[in-house]
Amino acid sequence: MKLRRLQVEQLRQFRQPFVLDSLEPGLNLIHGPNESGKSTLVRAIRAAFFERYRTSSVDDLRPWGDSAAAPTITLDFEARSQSWHLVKSFLQRKRCDLTIDSASYSEDEAEEKLAELLGFQFSAKGVSKPEHWGVPGLLWVEQGTGQNIEQAVEHAGDHLKSALNSLVGEVASTGGDELIDQVRTRWRELFTPTGKPRGDYQKLEREREEHQQAIDELQARIRKYQEQVDRLGKLKQDHERIQHERPWEEAERQLEHARERFRQVEKLEQQQAQEKETLAHLQSNRQLLRQNQEQLQSLSRKLDVRTAELEKARRELEQTEARSASVASNIEAAKAAYEAAARQVEQARLQETWSRLEQDIRRLEQHNQTLTENLKSAQQYQQALEQAREQARENRIDAAAVKALKNTEHQWNEESIRSQAIATRLTWQLEPGARLALNDEAVEGEGERQLLESSRLVIPGVGTLGITPGGEDLASTRRKLAALRQTLAEQMQALGVESVQQAEQRVAAHESAERTLQHTLELLKSVAPVGIEQLLADQKEAESRLRKAKTELQSRRAPEGPAGVTDVASAEAGRAKAEARLAEAEAEERKHQTELLTRRQSRDSANSEWQQLQNEVQNPEHQKQLRKLATELADIDRKQGSLEAGLQAREQEIQQAHPTILKQDIDRYQRSISNLRQAQEDRQRELRDIQVRLEAWGAEGLEEQFNEKAADLEQCNRRYQELHRRARALDLLLSLLTDKRQALTRRLQAPLQKHLDHYLSLLFPQATLEVDEHLRPGTFTRGAELGQIAELSFGAREQMGLISRLAYADLLREAGRPTLVILDDTLVHSDTDRLEDMKRILFDAANRHQILLFTCHPEKWSDLGVVPRDIQVMKERLENPG
Amino acid sequence: MPKFLHTADWQMGRAFSRFETEDGAALVEARFEAIEKIARLANEHQCDAVLVAGDVFDAQTVADRTIRRVFNATGAFRGPWVMLPGNHDAALAESVWTRAQRLGAVPDNVHAALEPGVINLEPQGLAILCAPLTQRNTYSDLTEAFSTWETPERLIRVGLAHGSVQGVLSDDIDSANPISPNRAEAARLDYLALGDWHGTRQIDGRTWYSGTPEPERFRNNSAGYALIVDVPGPGALPQVTPLETGRYQWHQWRETLTVESDLDQLLERLGELPEPSVVDLRLEGAITLAGEERLTNALSVAEARFRSIQCDRSGLQLAPTDDDVAALKADGYVGEVIEHLRSHQQDDDAEAARDALAILAGLLKDRKQETSE
Repeated sequence: MKLRRLQVEQLRQFRQPFVLDSLEPGLNLIHGPNESGKSTLVRAIRAAFFERYRTSSVDDLRPWGDSAAAPTITLDFEARSQSWHLVKSFLQRKRCDLTIDSASYSEDEAEEKLAELLGFQFSAKGVSKPEHWGVPGLLWVEQGTGQNIEQAVEHAGDHLKSALNSLVGEVASTGGDELIDQVRTRWRELFTPTGKPRGDYQKLEREREEHQQAIDELQARIRKYQEQVDRLGKLKQDHERIQHERPWEEAERQLEHARERFRQVEKLEQQQAQEKETLAHLQSNRQLLRQNQEQLQSLSRKLDVRTAELEKARRELEQTEARSASVASNIEAAKAAYEAAARQVEQARLQETWSRLEQDIRRLEQHNQTLTENLKSAQQYQQALEQAREQARENRIDAAAVKALKNTEHQWNEESIRSQAIATRLTWQLEPGARLALNDEAVEGEGERQLLESSRLVIPGVGTLGITPGGEDLASTRRKLAALRQTLAEQMQALGVESVQQAEQRVAAHESAERTLQHTLELLKSVAPVGIEQLLADQKEAESRLRKAKTELQSRRAPEGPAGVTDVASAEAGRAKAEARLAEAEAEERKHQTELLTRRQSRDSANSEWQQLQNEVQNPEHQKQLRKLATELADIDRKQGSLEAGLQAREQEIQQAHPTILKQDIDRYQRSISNLRQAQEDRQRELRDIQVRLEAWGAEGLEEQFNEKAADLEQCNRRYQELHRRARALDLLLSLLTDKRQALTRRLQAPLQKHLDHYLSLLFPQATLEVDEHLRPGTFTRGAELGQIAELSFGAREQMGLISRLAYADLLREAGRPTLVILDDTLVHSDTDRLEDMKRILFDAANRHQILLFTCHPEKWSDLGVVPRDIQVMKERLENPG
Repeated sequence: MPKFLHTADWQMGRAFSRFETEDGAALVEARFEAIEKIARLANEHQCDAVLVAGDVFDAQTVADRTIRRVFNATGAFRGPWVMLPGNHDAALAESVWTRAQRLGAVPDNVHAALEPGVINLEPQGLAILCAPLTQRNTYSDLTEAFSTWETPERLIRVGLAHGSVQGVLSDDIDSANPISPNRAEAARLDYLALGDWHGTRQIDGRTWYSGTPEPERFRNNSAGYALIVDVPGPGALPQVTPLETGRYQWHQWRETLTVESDLDQLLERLGELPEPSVVDLRLEGAITLAGEERLTNALSVAEARFRSIQCDRSGLQLAPTDDDVAALKADGYVGEVIEHLRSHQQDDDAEAARDALAILAGLLKDRKQETSE
């Protein structure tokens, strides 16, 4: 198909007629800035084909504000080797005229021709939509939709496929798709789109389950019914048998027997209790008798004891009386010893006094003598003491002053020495007899003088020599010496001495006197410590005492016997011993007397007691009682013996009868009877219950119901199986048909793939783009990359979209279908390199197809090898012709 | 000269699940009619009594209506009926019999032999020695006691029992209750009336199975009869006459179609069957598209004619001839599909392939007709 000429008028901004003619059979580049009417031209071509002339839904074609406009499009093109002339007006003048070579068509007929030629549909109502566009929808790319190819391919599907069919020459099967539709319709009666059973098929499946459930329930009930029947049979049998056997009667007999035996045992037990009581009585009676007997028997024993006691008392009295004589003699001897000892003591005392007095006299005489001697010595010492005292008084001097004096002398000496050292020394050796006067002092012989002061030496005959000592300290030394001498003199004067030596001698003398005084004083003290007067008194006292002692001695009589035989102390000791012995003997005697009395009394009381008891025992009544008791006791013992034997025997009898077990037996039999009767009653009750229940259930005719239900189920099953078979058959048929059809489609895809590969190799060498069963570009691979077109970048998708469209165009052309490619501002997202490749592709495609490329970027397409046509310029040319 | 009618295995209350509801109901109805017919025959042949040898009822719990209808159906014959509980209606503690009695449905002239023992029908000159089944399962020979039971000498001794005569019948009968083969002789019976075997069958001169009066299964064992037994006198050999009582004939055919004429023969035979028939067909082999069409048409006709016809074609291959396929005018991939289905009829999924082919052929044929119109 080759578009030759396009004219529009009263259409949007083209109020005046606008003509685009002399279009090339290959590439046509039409450009103009925005708003110049580029897209309007594209819209016009679309409207001319797709929009029904009589539609009112194309208001967008109307020039702005011009309600009277009749937008008109005139197209001239060649197709199928024929010239086509189409004039289509909208809105105010709705017309469509088509001339093919010499044949004219108008209105609907004209539009049908167009649709048939290009492969599209008209919209039933309103504006044309993409789903109607068919092949042109695929080849005419609107601005900004180049990348969206899937929808466009789908809408063009049938046309593409018929093109392919004619191309491959393969028979797709006459009405094959229709057949598939029929099969599918039948399939859909049984299945939902997702392959789940529906309608009757599904209902039957459910019913089948419901029937099965009902049957299961019935079966369970029938089973229960049969169990109950069996139970009833068994119960009936058991009931009759038990009713016949009457097992409780046997138990009743046994119960009666056990009761009888128990009664017997009870009787035995009563007897036992009675006899036990009797035995207790006997035992207590016996004990009383026994006590009486013992009491009586104890009297005789007591008498024996008393006899023995009496005997003993007598014996003891005799023994005591036998000792009386010796006790008396003992005391006599003790008395005599004591008196002898007392006399000895008196004698010893006498002697002692005598010897003491003699001794006193001797001692006093000696004392007196000593005192006299001491007195004499003391008087001598007293004298010496007076002398020493005198001496000390005479030499008394102040020791401290002496010391100071000595010190002063010492200083003076030192100063003198110093003065001599500094003093002018005047030595002289005079001729004997020569005399000189120094400071008016005569000087002869040989000597030396220290001169401290200016001195005058008079040499007789010669005159006077003045000597003035030099040195700086001389004067002070001189003054000091003078002061010291002064002090020395003063001190000596104070002391009353003429020289220091004298002072020192006085000190020594004083000290000596003091020592003598002290010594004498000590001596005096040794003989008269408290003074001589006291000593005198003591001596007089001693003399008086001596006289007194001598007088006493003379007054005393002299002791008998030899003096000093016995001393007082030992004599006293001997007396004390004798006294003690005497006291002992006296105590012994008193004790003896007491004992004697006591024993005598004991014997008397024992005697009287014995006598009393003796009388009692000898009584004949007592003997008689004893004998009676013995007989009675023997009787009781015998009775007790027989009773106990009886008791033991009966006890054994009772034990052997096992009364507790008997009682348990009774209980057991009673229970058994009650259980047996109860069981039978229960059976009867259950029997009635089951009977009633079975009657109720039986009325329902369960098994007949079951049979009917089973029939229902089987019918349901049969119907289901039929449908199931049909379903399986349809499923198989449908899948077979679609599979075969798909296989065919795949074979048809090959030519398209060929064209696609052609362009792809120009754009992406080594890349593949596969066409899917709906003839859409699908899986894309490039090296390791693998994916769907939709996953590529916008630019790449646009490029893929374009080459796919060109491939479809090739395919359609090969099948002898008209092709016209319109690209409205396409590939704006491509980079320079890709655009370059795309230009090669477009140029290549233009060899086979007419391509109208509208753009507002003519500079990008300058190397496309065609003359660009500027809408703006054309418009101006039309408006200003010439 | 007592004369009585011997019947058994009425199986009342049975439902026929394999048939369509309507057909099943008709078959049930036929069984009631059979009882009525027996009553009529007993009258016609001046029988003294009717003996039913077990399985009057198919189950213990049948509907009250069924019970009443059974006894109502006996109404025509006023003489004594002796009915014996069989394995399906054993005289358990609670049974269909006790219920029937409770319902008051049992007429006075019907004796239910619920306990082992002798029923003396003095006026009829018959002593009936009954061995009813009283357990759900019985493994001992209940007729053994017959020998010990004394009966008045003037009365004919007739044993009435339900079970299988040992060593005579095939193993697949539905009752395990054994009966000694020489029971009639051993127990000095003039006749032993047996039930349980659904076909009419003579065991010895005095021992017979009457069979069920109305067939209820396809097993071909001469069902659908009642026996008229004429005993000339005590000790004399009885004279037994089978009378037809059944309404429907049951036919089960297993056919293999190989050549065209096989189908012709089958259809011919089918056409010869009487109307009150119940037919069960199972076809194997192969059939052409044209043959299939003929068969379907014939079955459609048969369905209307017979009480019931069922045809299992799952073993039958659909083998379109080349002409068939050509006639379908299937080209392109549809042709491939037909070839595929033709060749896959021996597979596991043969049935689906056959059905699919039939559907496809049908669709193509319809289309052909449309276009030709």
